[in-house]
Amino acid sequence: MPPVFCHSLEELFQHIDIHKHKHLSFHHHLRNGDFVMNTVLRHYRDEQVEGLHLHPSSIFPSYTMLLELLERGQIASVTTNYLNGPVAQWISEHGLPGELKMQTHGGRARSIIDGRDRIDVAYLAAPAVDAMGNAVGYLGQHRCGSLGYAVADSQHAGITVLVTDTVLSDPITDPEIQGVDVDYVVIVDAIGDPDGIVSGTTSITTHPIGVRIASLTVAALDAIGAIREGFSFQSGAGGVSLRVTDELSKIMRQRHITASFFSGGITGHHVAMLEAGLVDRLYDVQCFDLAAVDSLARNDRHIPISASRYANPADPDQVIADLDVVILGATEVDLDFNVNVTTDSHGVLIGGSGGHSDTASESQVTVIVSPLMRGRLPLIKDRVTTITTKGEHVDLIVTERGIAVHPERVDLKAKLEQTTLPVMTIETLQAIAHSYTGKPVDPPLGERIIGVVEDRTYEILDNIHQKK
Amino acid sequence: MSRSYLFIPGNTPSMIQSHDVYDSDAVILDLEDSVAVYDKDAARELVRSFLAAHRGNVEVFVRINDVDSGHFHRDVSAVDDLAINGYVLPKANPQAIDALAKACNHPILPIIEDPQAVLDAYAIVRHPQVKGAILGAEDLTKEMMIERTSDGIEIHHVRSHLALVCHALQKPFIDTPWTVVDDLDGLAKDASLARSLGATGKAAIHPNHVALINDLFGPSESAIRDAERILAKASETGKGAFRLDGKMIDEPIVEKARRLIAAAARYNKR
Repeated sequence: MPPVFCHSLEELFQHIDIHKHKHLSFHHHLRNGDFVMNTVLRHYRDEQVEGLHLHPSSIFPSYTMLLELLERGQIASVTTNYLNGPVAQWISEHGLPGELKMQTHGGRARSIIDGRDRIDVAYLAAPAVDAMGNAVGYLGQHRCGSLGYAVADSQHAGITVLVTDTVLSDPITDPEIQGVDVDYVVIVDAIGDPDGIVSGTTSITTHPIGVRIASLTVAALDAIGAIREGFSFQSGAGGVSLRVTDELSKIMRQRHITASFFSGGITGHHVAMLEAGLVDRLYDVQCFDLAAVDSLARNDRHIPISASRYANPADPDQVIADLDVVILGATEVDLDFNVNVTTDSHGVLIGGSGGHSDTASESQVTVIVSPLMRGRLPLIKDRVTTITTKGEHVDLIVTERGIAVHPERVDLKAKLEQTTLPVMTIETLQAIAHSYTGKPVDPPLGERIIGVVEDRTYEILDNIHQKK
Repeated sequence: MSRSYLFIPGNTPSMIQSHDVYDSDAVILDLEDSVAVYDKDAARELVRSFLAAHRGNVEVFVRINDVDSGHFHRDVSAVDDLAINGYVLPKANPQAIDALAKACNHPILPIIEDPQAVLDAYAIVRHPQVKGAILGAEDLTKEMMIERTSDGIEIHHVRSHLALVCHALQKPFIDTPWTVVDDLDGLAKDASLARSLGATGKAAIHPNHVALINDLFGPSESAIRDAERILAKASETGKGAFRLDGKMIDEPIVEKARRLIAAAARYNKR
């Protein structure tokens, strides 16, 4: 049976009781250009619905209505994978009546599929929908590419609502969201602002420190034999990660190496490598720029995948189970190689795992790239403020001044020590940083625990403290 | 003999702190053109404080302001008691070299950047405290009111002349920096040309230029392999002269191979 089409949210709320369903989910594929979360939550504000449990896959600075609901005390708990901006600041300072749970991309999908996280209504921005409620993200006037983070929600929510500004007359033959899972389609004027949908982070760094880190990273990957025919690879969309990818592509061209797949967030740089025959497939859970979006629409080897297929360990087709190398960033690391990308050293929420700990725990080689110092702050602490990814999943930490190898990776260490690369212990790296910065005194955290970091095995990795 | 000489503005703490991570064989902490007049005092203090506390494993020079600038003596005295590798002296001429030599005991790298200095190059470089020469092509072409081009035809003669002077005096000739920051292809052509004319190294105004300069001015992989084979054969035969690949190898060639391997070791290539 096709879904019910509504021409406004007001019409939708004639079908569903806004006061009855309080576990709400959203996806973040439209990033800072998203209109859907603010528009939907405005109705919850106006109707003074209290005790809301929100499950957005991420929270961006433009999600201002969420802040308003927080200030009005209408939100009981938040479960998400990443948050920054005013909402993150507010939660850090005030906490929630209930809990903040920071999941991973794979963990969120798993938790929804397992029914561990209950979703009453999933409000899903859908750039293009057909008459049967099938949807894709790579078509439409406000296209965003893959809808990977929305798939589990669409399949397991009590009520699935697509919000769209584009209804196609032709059927979608290979939808990311299946019409059979959709209950309502709400047609609005615009689901987003194109300027905010495309990430601004897809430039290859030319900063000398970033260039140096990337250069050392590629040299290290080469030394350990990771750059070989058929290898698989994931890097983020940050400038250093993209520089690593770019330098890898030069080596691959020289040696006529083809990678099997790249996964995760995809950019135009990855697309260019696909089109140059340097990689066989792109498994795309999130597009970072329009070049990636357009490629997804036209190239069969650029494959949109759900967050579950991406990183749910219970998914039999989990892509990252075959991942050879992942390049990840860090806000802090510690002497046990634990990584924090969730809070700053004051305990203020500035991000979250996303796929950080998912990929680190699966990849054969996990490389953390980061400057050894940011201003006066050294990267390496005795103990990170918040554990996002456990040190046992981290193999190499590459900074501009040296490379630290996890003590259990004696195989990697032996290979790296045969080169002229600056391999040293993590304690030595920390001492180098301290010779410039001194050893900073950790700011005290608040006593109240306002949230937890949960990995995809449902293990609680750490507590998040209220900002003091 | 250093391959790369990276200029670092003397008023940028983050770059100074990272001076030893860019892989440049030498860095030149700059108190001259990259530092505005109102910032000269602060730059002097910053460079002095940093060098007094930290030294990475690279050669460190300080470019002071020229002798007529009004900053000259304060620049010299700011770091004179520190273990720097020398001063880089802009707008060099024989009288300026004498003035600086009188004020300090450190080695001097003069920048040859006006027509008269080119003509006086031999007199400048032969001074015992002078350890080489840097071509400053931007100022030189400005003085001559000629266009500075990417193929460098306008400085071809000067490069050759300075290379001859420096080689005659057995001192390094350091080529002028490439100033188009993002044009690495242009840098590669420019540096290759300079090397073919006799430059032993090249100055750089951006850290991202260093790797390419090091590659072009350092021993190549094939040269290293050849040198290793020569030394292996020399060791195996124990003779003063022997044949390798149909060529006669004698002691000067063996010694050249030894120097090349030593340079490769210094540059972490072996």
